[in-house]
Amino acid sequence: MRGLKSLTAVADWQSWAVFRRNALVFLRHWRTAVIPPAMEPVIFFVAFGLGFSGYIETLEYRGVDINYATYVAAGLVAYTGFGTPYYEALYSAYFRMFYQKTWDGILATQVELPSVVWGEILWGAVRGMVNISIVSVVIAVFDLIGLVDVKAEFLILMPFLGFIAGCAFASFALIFTAIVPAIDHMNYPVFLIGWPLSLVSNTFFPVEPQSPALQALMQINPVYQLAETARGFLVLGDPGPHLLGLLGSTTLFLIPCTLLSVRLTRRRVLGD
Amino acid sequence: MTTAILEARGLTKSYADKIVVDRLDLSCRRGTVLGLLGPNGAGKTTTLRMLYGFVPPDAGSIHYAGKRFDEDRTEAKRSIGVCTQGDSLDYDFTVAQNLLIYASYFRPRVENLEGRVAELLDRFDLAEYADASPHVLSGGFVRRLLIARSIVHRPSVLFLDEPTTGLDPSARLDVWELIDSMRAEGLAIVLTTHYMDEAERLSDELLVIHEGRKVAQGEPHRVIDTVLGDHVIIVPRGEPAREEIAAWLQARGAEQVATVLGELRVPVTKQDLVELTARFTEATWQVRPPNLDDLFIALARRKGRFR
Repeated sequence: MRGLKSLTAVADWQSWAVFRRNALVFLRHWRTAVIPPAMEPVIFFVAFGLGFSGYIETLEYRGVDINYATYVAAGLVAYTGFGTPYYEALYSAYFRMFYQKTWDGILATQVELPSVVWGEILWGAVRGMVNISIVSVVIAVFDLIGLVDVKAEFLILMPFLGFIAGCAFASFALIFTAIVPAIDHMNYPVFLIGWPLSLVSNTFFPVEPQSPALQALMQINPVYQLAETARGFLVLGDPGPHLLGLLGSTTLFLIPCTLLSVRLTRRRVLGD
Repeated sequence: MTTAILEARGLTKSYADKIVVDRLDLSCRRGTVLGLLGPNGAGKTTTLRMLYGFVPPDAGSIHYAGKRFDEDRTEAKRSIGVCTQGDSLDYDFTVAQNLLIYASYFRPRVENLEGRVAELLDRFDLAEYADASPHVLSGGFVRRLLIARSIVHRPSVLFLDEPTTGLDPSARLDVWELIDSMRAEGLAIVLTTHYMDEAERLSDELLVIHEGRKVAQGEPHRVIDTVLGDHVIIVPRGEPAREEIAAWLQARGAEQVATVLGELRVPVTKQDLVELTARFTEATWQVRPPNLDDLFIALARRKGRFR
């Protein structure tokens, strides 16, 4: 019963009040909050996409030859869609919880703990949307000048795909936020999980494991599904089975991660 | 006498097999201050956390305005204001915005919110800092803002967890005035403090807990009488008969013989005092009424005795 309440709290006004609080802070500092993080995928695109495209002329994607920069363009959507909510829910949420004691103040109101967690999940996912929007604009510009060849009309969908997967990534990160003893320990979820996951998910290069177990793991990895869905839309205009895969893997991630993060955050913040 | 707006019965909470709060009853009426006292580790904070819903009790019940807290937490929490001990202001917002954003965590929404915020800024002398970051506020003004924030939604019950800890004497007096004015407006206030003068002056009723259980409850002077007795004698460090007096009192059953900076402090009954005066005619000592400091010292020395 408590678990079900934790999941349905997404629809409560309290969750959106927490979301609104984070959005208001973001709007006050949007210049500093948007430009630096949005530059990262652009730099990656220039370094990997344009840099390596001199050495890797074409890749085959679902029977179609595409240039490497186009391959990476879709990967960047997944990279941003994963990294932004993941790091937002790791670092920013940790600051709000541990240093600023913002959650302590919020919890002394009508807002219950599952709503705090959902507010952070929703906010992380929306931050992902914002950054994917910027990346999409950059991809559109590169498409215009001929550096990549994408179906630009589908770029409008990218932020929404990012939002869906972003909920799963933020809920996953909040598990670590609830358990790391100090900010220095964030290196573990960043370097042992964040970086590997964002690189081995068909973002910057195709990964084709031979082992059936690894293949199955790939299918339930939302980063992989986000990359392939984005690529399907941008290259072919058709995501194939990956849109369903994205929805399925996101759900598979989101439910247990949310339940676990609520439980661990309750223990950490309320001592219960 | 009005009925209690907050009523808790049989509150019990354990952590890892250790009973932290044990079958505690308490109540608070409109327009009164209930002082919740006890040494460190007595169970005050856990009691408060159960009352405002941070942790569920293992047993017992909590009612706000006659309604069970666990049956409709959201509605009950609309009537509660909480001023936590730690600074939980939202430093991403200005002073005025702190009040506005905090009000957004309540439904039904606060009526005439802009007016309410202006009223609180004025009343708590925060108007000149309205557009400033809380970073510029002194400790006393941070505390004012925390209290103002906790009543922005016009609650009926206010929890103040050590509201003057760390403040200078002048700022403490200002907070006392604010608490007194909120009581006069009809708020039911539950106050925890380590300052005995504060508890004595502000509380209409005291609830003293020790090792999770009620030790005494009632008006401040009655609570002191219950636990300590009629007088406290203070035998100075240099008094030659000091050890002899202590032994004599202990032989008569005085349990709370305390030594503070070499002085002997012993709560005694009127009868003890009469006999002491007759027996130690050459000795010198002071006699004064017992206060809550004596109570705390006595409780600390009685550790485990109430079980």
